[in-house]
Amino acid sequence: MPRAKIWGFLAVILSAGLFALSVYSLFIFNKGDFSSFSSVNLQELNSLTYYSAAIPISAIALWVLATGFWIGWVILTIKVVPPMPEIVEKKDNSRIKAFFLCLLTAALAALLVYGVYVRSFWSLAVPAIVISAVILGAVFWVGMAIITTRATLPVNKK
Amino acid sequence: MKVLIVGYRGNPYCGGQGIYIYNLSKELAKLGVEVDVMVGPPYPDPLEEWATVYKIENLHLWSMKTREIPFEKLGRIFTPWNFADFILTRLHMFPEMETFSFRAFFALKKILKTKRYDIIHDIQSLGWATVPMKGYGMPIVTTVHHPLTKDREADLMGNRTMWDKVTTLLFYPLIMQSFVIKRLDRVITSFGEGVDELRKAFGVKREKASVVYNGMDVDLFQNTGEKREENALLFVGNTEDSKKGLVYLFEALTMLPENITLTIVDEGPPKRMSAARMIKKFGLEHRVKFTGKLTYEALVSIYSRKTILVMSSLFEGFGLPAVEAMSCKTPVVVTTAGSLKEVVTGDCGVLVPPKDPVALKDAILKLLGDKALRERMGENGRKRAVENFSWPVAAKNTLEVYKDVVREYRSGK
Repeated sequence: MPRAKIWGFLAVILSAGLFALSVYSLFIFNKGDFSSFSSVNLQELNSLTYYSAAIPISAIALWVLATGFWIGWVILTIKVVPPMPEIVEKKDNSRIKAFFLCLLTAALAALLVYGVYVRSFWSLAVPAIVISAVILGAVFWVGMAIITTRATLPVNKK
Repeated sequence: MKVLIVGYRGNPYCGGQGIYIYNLSKELAKLGVEVDVMVGPPYPDPLEEWATVYKIENLHLWSMKTREIPFEKLGRIFTPWNFADFILTRLHMFPEMETFSFRAFFALKKILKTKRYDIIHDIQSLGWATVPMKGYGMPIVTTVHHPLTKDREADLMGNRTMWDKVTTLLFYPLIMQSFVIKRLDRVITSFGEGVDELRKAFGVKREKASVVYNGMDVDLFQNTGEKREENALLFVGNTEDSKKGLVYLFEALTMLPENITLTIVDEGPPKRMSAARMIKKFGLEHRVKFTGKLTYEALVSIYSRKTILVMSSLFEGFGLPAVEAMSCKTPVVVTTAGSLKEVVTGDCGVLVPPKDPVALKDAILKLLGDKALRERMGENGRKRAVENFSWPVAAKNTLEVYKDVVREYRSGK
């Protein structure tokens, strides 16, 4: 078996295992009772410990939200010469959507900053889960592609 | 002088950067400059005759679905920069410049254990890690033919849905380029108006920009002496690029007599559909044909045979097809967009305002109706191309910029 295939299997097993563990700990272990997480008291942590986790997680989350806001803002404000009328076929309502994108990302960013400030468990847990899911998903997807792709071309029967 | 040229793509046969690196390094070497080249794939193998090539890995995952990635690339995906490339490309970003700059930064660290350079010349990558490269104690210049804001605007112009716009905005790394370009020692651009474009797009100060016209192979692009066709227009360029303003050319064509035809040097349908859709819309199927990609020999031949080259561009960072046509003694009709008004003078072509199909039609009719004028313009075009746009001239002027930057850097300005 080519070495890459072994890496592919490992990637799938590792990412699926870690994701399953997250699902188990979140939904099955607690029997769907999320109130136990809400009662986690991060105030007890000393500031250095708390912010060493909170700053990287919230920085990534804010970067993603800022990108979303920037995209919305550019679409709202950029002046682009419109194409010739005869080749425009669809009505463009992207400015309305862009406005809501700005609104949503700004609200989420404000919520995140407030949550981090008051040391809410969910303000760190939600971004951490999303970031982990994206990375684990990418590892899993590459692993699956490695496993299911032929290492060599099929033999030409003719 | 010892120079390291750094570019994220190095194919010497297609793509502006690769051709630029290939020819510039070759001519600089002829001027006695010691040139090393650090490039991403496709690699320029013939360069090794006159320059040491340092190859930087890149899997080119952009626009490739995960399922379509070849097995040998999949096997290499779990290295840090390849994985970063993979994740960012899945998020519709184009991270090639970013990751190239980081890879180049670490590769350069190793090279500098045994070598020194007087200057580093970045070719339009402007990745984040280009800034810390200055810490190695050398000035860095960059060549930016035109700011990517122009490409982004052109793409946004063609985008119809919110999703299209989001992916366009994610694709162009303009925040990175804007941050990096201001921190480099000099920006070389290929036309005078480019200095203003760079200031508007990225806030580059005028005194930090130098104009060096691009070069082209004037020995290769020579009139073949083949018989010229009558009423045969030529367009050379990427038909998917909305900056080329093809829609205006097609509209002009609808106003021209039926016996006037247009040949487009690019892939047509089914590979590239944008132009084909417009052609159908304007009912020009019987007058427009595509050649597909051509070899240099075939390209020179077609330049020499067609009556006029037309460029209906909304923006051009240099306008290579116009110079190639001029070099083959073919008169041109071009818009005044971007660099074209500097590249083409009134004695070798007709200039019209962009987005004006009527003016385009009038200019084409004027040239098609006057053979003597066409021949005169052809001769003038060849002269202008040889005197201003040959690679030896471009290399000589680039070397002057290097010397100036090194002098400023060493005097601590």
